[in-house]
Formats: sequence, structure tokens, C-alpha cells
Amino acid sequence: MATANEPPTQSSDDENKGPLERWTHGVLTDPAKRDRLYRALFYVACGFFLVTTLFPFYWLLVLALTPNTQILAGDWEVTVPLVGAEVPFPTPQGFNVYAFVEVFQQVPFHLYVFNSFVLASVTTVIVIALASLAGYVFGRLEFPGRGLMMLAVLAVSYFPPAAFLIPLFDAFLGNAIVVPFLGIELFAPPRLVNTPGSMIMPFSALFLPLAIFILTTFYGQIPDGLEDAARVEGTTRLGALFRVIMPLSAPGVATAAVLTFIAVYNEYFFSSIMALQNEPNQWSPLVGGILSYQTQYTTDFNLMAAASIVGVLPMLILVVVAQEKIVSGLTDGALKE
Amino acid sequence: MATDDRTAGPARRSNRSGPVVAITRWMENLGETGFAYLLLTPVVVLLGAIALYPLLRTFELSLYQNVLSDPEFVGLENYVQLFTGNADARMPGTTTFLPEVTTSGSFPYVHVEGLLRSALAVTIIFTVVSVFFETIIGFGQALVLDREFRGRRWVRAAIIIPWAIPIVIQGMIFYLMFHPDTGFLTEYLASWGLVAETNTLNDPASSLLIVTVADIWKTTAFMALLILAGLQSIDRSLYDVAEVAGASKWQQFKLITFPLVLPALGIAILFRTIDAMRVYGLIDSVSGCTTVPSLSCMVVETFNTNRGLASAIAFVTAGIIAIAVMGVIYQQYKEGL
Repeated sequence: MATANEPPTQSSDDENKGPLERWTHGVLTDPAKRDRLYRALFYVACGFFLVTTLFPFYWLLVLALTPNTQILAGDWEVTVPLVGAEVPFPTPQGFNVYAFVEVFQQVPFHLYVFNSFVLASVTTVIVIALASLAGYVFGRLEFPGRGLMMLAVLAVSYFPPAAFLIPLFDAFLGNAIVVPFLGIELFAPPRLVNTPGSMIMPFSALFLPLAIFILTTFYGQIPDGLEDAARVEGTTRLGALFRVIMPLSAPGVATAAVLTFIAVYNEYFFSSIMALQNEPNQWSPLVGGILSYQTQYTTDFNLMAAASIVGVLPMLILVVVAQEKIVSGLTDGALKE
Repeated sequence: MATDDRTAGPARRSNRSGPVVAITRWMENLGETGFAYLLLTPVVVLLGAIALYPLLRTFELSLYQNVLSDPEFVGLENYVQLFTGNADARMPGTTTFLPEVTTSGSFPYVHVEGLLRSALAVTIIFTVVSVFFETIIGFGQALVLDREFRGRRWVRAAIIIPWAIPIVIQGMIFYLMFHPDTGFLTEYLASWGLVAETNTLNDPASSLLIVTVADIWKTTAFMALLILAGLQSIDRSLYDVAEVAGASKWQQFKLITFPLVLPALGIAILFRTIDAMRVYGLIDSVSGCTTVPSLSCMVVETFNTNRGLASAIAFVTAGIIAIAVMGVIYQQYKEGL
């Protein structure tokens, strides 16, 4: 590449070159021109990323607002030229806001969303409580086997849910728990399918490790002096954790909570398998609500889109409000474990 | 680390009695190691019940006959059945990814042809292609977000949003985009030979492509955030030195940015690889698990009828992912946890 800071004095040469050649030469030699090129590239990249990430949401909005008969007609009126051909560009063919009401009339969609919220909230509380204990231990205590325990927790979180499914499903159906390889039947657990328990337990186990690693980082940063002071004041060890360390680590706790909530709300595997019938009164969450449109009302495309928008809204709000927490949580959880 | 002053707390309460006080006093008097293991108990119990027990039990089930009631011990027979499926690897576009379960074998074994290879091919193609593009696009997004500009917060939110939406809605978006009644891109993409013109969502190769694109759309943000964290940890003064030394922007990228961001990039790729190999929900909601069955799909689709085989596939899946997990653990170990 060219060296920087070379003054653009070759104007006499430039006159007998083509415009493209002159431009490349200018870019190579003139820092100001080069900066302009970088800035242009930056805006192009920025625009490209915005369009590609946001277009699918625009597509949902178009489908939701367009009456179903118009969708089936498939005429989007506008076309844009794309390499080689005119491609139809979806634009709203009407303004049917009523679809957002119909979503709740066709199936009790609000109940599915409610179930998702309950499952996500309860899981978040359990995960934060357990991860606080573990985070305190890993972040503040020295004991033999600490590194090994952390690795074990880490390893568990990476196994595919499919590897846990078959025995868990058996157990949640109420079949006896059998000690592996010994054949001893321990006890018959209660039948948990179609109840929150069959989802909250796997969710908690699945999303516990990330919360543990986030909280380990935060709890480990609280100065020992503060904990000692609380202990001198007569607080028990657990009291110091829940009344001193946890409140002081509030941002970390919030981060772990937000990420857990999002993860549970978005979960598919156990949400779709453990609620057997997609019935909202049997604790089927959002997954069941959306899938019931796909499987029962197979031609109500505007309602599918409207339901998706309703289902996405809580996450949209959460991302805008808690953006910093999500960013720091994801990067801390992954990079600083 | 935590205080060793164990007398301050309980001393004041010594005049009270009752089970709570007794337990509190017992906990206060535990050594640091004992206290650490006590606090870890709930986490260990949960992960043991939801992850470790099912994993071992899955392995045990995979060693038994492929029947539902009273299976006999058959050793590695199910694995032999899986791996000797003598059909060709079902690659996209040739025939189908569907497992061909024929009953040519003697009861109670069914002879399975190409089942594992087909699912393995789907899972590996999906993982490699999506992680490859996520890395490249994610790097681009990270470079854009690394600059200071007005509205950066909003651009970042827009890029994160796909990551935060439920898998079932991500699936719904792409289902609607390529459904014969609503899709607007099918014709154009078919003219390039990328997807099938008709029955797009029932065509294995087309579905695999659509699912891969959907995954890239959703999870690139995760990659971008991890790479961004790596970028922002680079000491800015290195660039000033490079500027003075006359290095071009490209040289700065090649000699400073890329090598220094490489560790974060490596972790991000490992994380995404592990996650992508578990793919289930996206496939299930876009095209259904019978069109492009991944490894997890196979388990879910068959575990109610082929207990032994499904367990074997589940355990093979776990084994394959375990290899990638080793990579992560090795990385953590190298950094001294």
C-alpha cells in the first residue's frame, strides 16, 4: 500500500489519466481523500447492517397490516431491481389494525404470553438465588476443587438438551427414577408434564451456568472490608451475602436476571416438548401460541405475523431499555469466565 | 477472601435458641471449605438431577434393545446399527435428508439406512456455514460499532434485536418469507438456482439454506458483541504509534487489530459452534423436523418409538459437542481460570 503523508502534487500526471485511475491514485496518495473513502465505506456498511437486521421486522409489519385476501393475492405493487430481475418489494396493502385484536380472539394468545412471563419470572428468581450462592462461593472463597467445580458447571451448560431429553421426559411422565447401570428403582416422581415444573427445572439448569459466571465476576469484586464490617456488625455469612454483597452488586444481578429472562422467554426445545398439547391452560408458553397458528389456522397469515409482533414486543422493549446490561453480560459471561 | 472471624455473629445471639439459631450457628462454625460445599449443594443437586443423571441414563438406554417395554441389554448394537447404515451420505440437492427406516432387519432391530449420516451432514453443514458467515458479518458489525458516531446506541440496539427474539418467531418470519402463499423472494432466488421454485419449505436443500440464513440473521449479533469486546480491549495508543511509523489502515488492521482480537474471536467461534450443533427449534418451526432432520431433531422425532436408537443418537450428539467443549475448557485452562 502507499505511504501516508505524501502531498498530492502530481496534478500534471492526473490530466492524462481516466477518472477512475485518477480517483484511485488520489485515494492512495491523499489522506483526506482516503478518509472520505473510509467514511463512505463506514456508512455503506452501517446502512447494510441496519437494513438486513430490521427488514424481517418490517416484513412482519407489512403482513400484519395487509388483509389476508390481499396477502393471498400476492401483489405487493412495488418492485425493486435486484441483479438480473425485478423483485417484488412488500408494502402494506391496507391498514388492518384489527388483526392485532383478532390475534387474541382466534386463540387466547394473551394466556400463552402470560405463561411465558410466569415461567421466565419464576426461573429467573430461582436462577438468581442459586447462582448467588454459587457466585459467592466461586468469587469469594478459596477451597480445594474450586477450579474443577467451575469447569463441571461450564461443561454441563454446553451439552445439547437432546442428550437430557429422554430420561427427563420419562421422569416428568411419572415413571420411576432408575439409578443408571444398577437397575435400582429409587422412587416415582409426580407427573410433571403440562405443569410449570417440567419446564422450570430444565430451564433453571440450562441457564444457571451463565448467571453463575456473571455473578462470580461481580461478587468477586466487592472489597473484603465491606463484608468483614457487616460480619462485625453481627450479620451471619448468608446475611452478608444477601444484605451487603448482593445489593452492592445490583448491576451484575440485574444483568444476570435480564439475560436469564430473555433466554427463557426465547427457549424452544423444552417449551415445545414438555407442554404436550399446546393448550394455554396446560402451561403451554409463547411457542405453543405461535405454533398453534402454524398448525391450526394455516392460512391466517396476517394473524401469524400479528402474533409474532405481539410476542416480540416485550423483547424489543427489554433490548432498548437494558441494552448496556445485555452487552456487558454477554461479553463478561463469555470472555471473562 | 471471606472473613475467618466466626465469633462476632453468633456471639450476640447465643442467649436465644431454636432450630433456626442452631442451624445458623452450625453454618457460622463451618470451615471455609465446608461452607463453600454447603452453598454449592443446591446447584450440584439441580445440575445433577437435570443434566448428569439424564446423560448417564441416556447412555444406559442406548445399550438396550430398541423397543419400548422390557428392553434387553444388547451392548453396542444400536451404535453399530447407526454407523453401518450403508446408504450414501444424503447431501443437499441429491435426494433427501429423510431417514429411511426399513424393517429389513430381524425383529426387534430395525435396519436403519443413512440415518445418522444424513443428520450428521445436516448438522455439520448448518454449523460450518452459519458460523463462517456469522464470523465475517459479525466482524464487520463489530468494526462499525467500534467507531464513535452519533446514534451508535441505536445502531447497536438494532443489531442486537434479532438475537433477543424468540426462536419460534424467528422461525415464523422465515416460514412466512418462503411460504408459497406469502413469500416474495422464492421466484427470484429460484431463478438463481438457490431454492426450489415450488414446495420450497418441503425441499431439504432449500430448507437447509433458509434455516442457515435465518440462523445467521439471528445470532451474528452475539458474535459481533464478543468481537467488539475484544476490539475495545485493544490499547488505542498502539494505533498512534503505528500512525507515526507510517502504517496504512490496512497494515494497522493486519498487524494490530487482527492478532489482538484473535483470542476473543476464537472463544466466540467455539461458543457459536457448540450452540449451532444443538439446532432444533429453528428447523422445527421453519420447515418441520422431517424435512431437514438435524441430530437433535432425530432424537426428538424418534424417542417415543425408537427408544434405544434415539438414546444412541442423543449420546453421539453429546459426544460430538463434547469435543468442542474440550476446546473451550482447554482455552479456559490455558488462561488459568
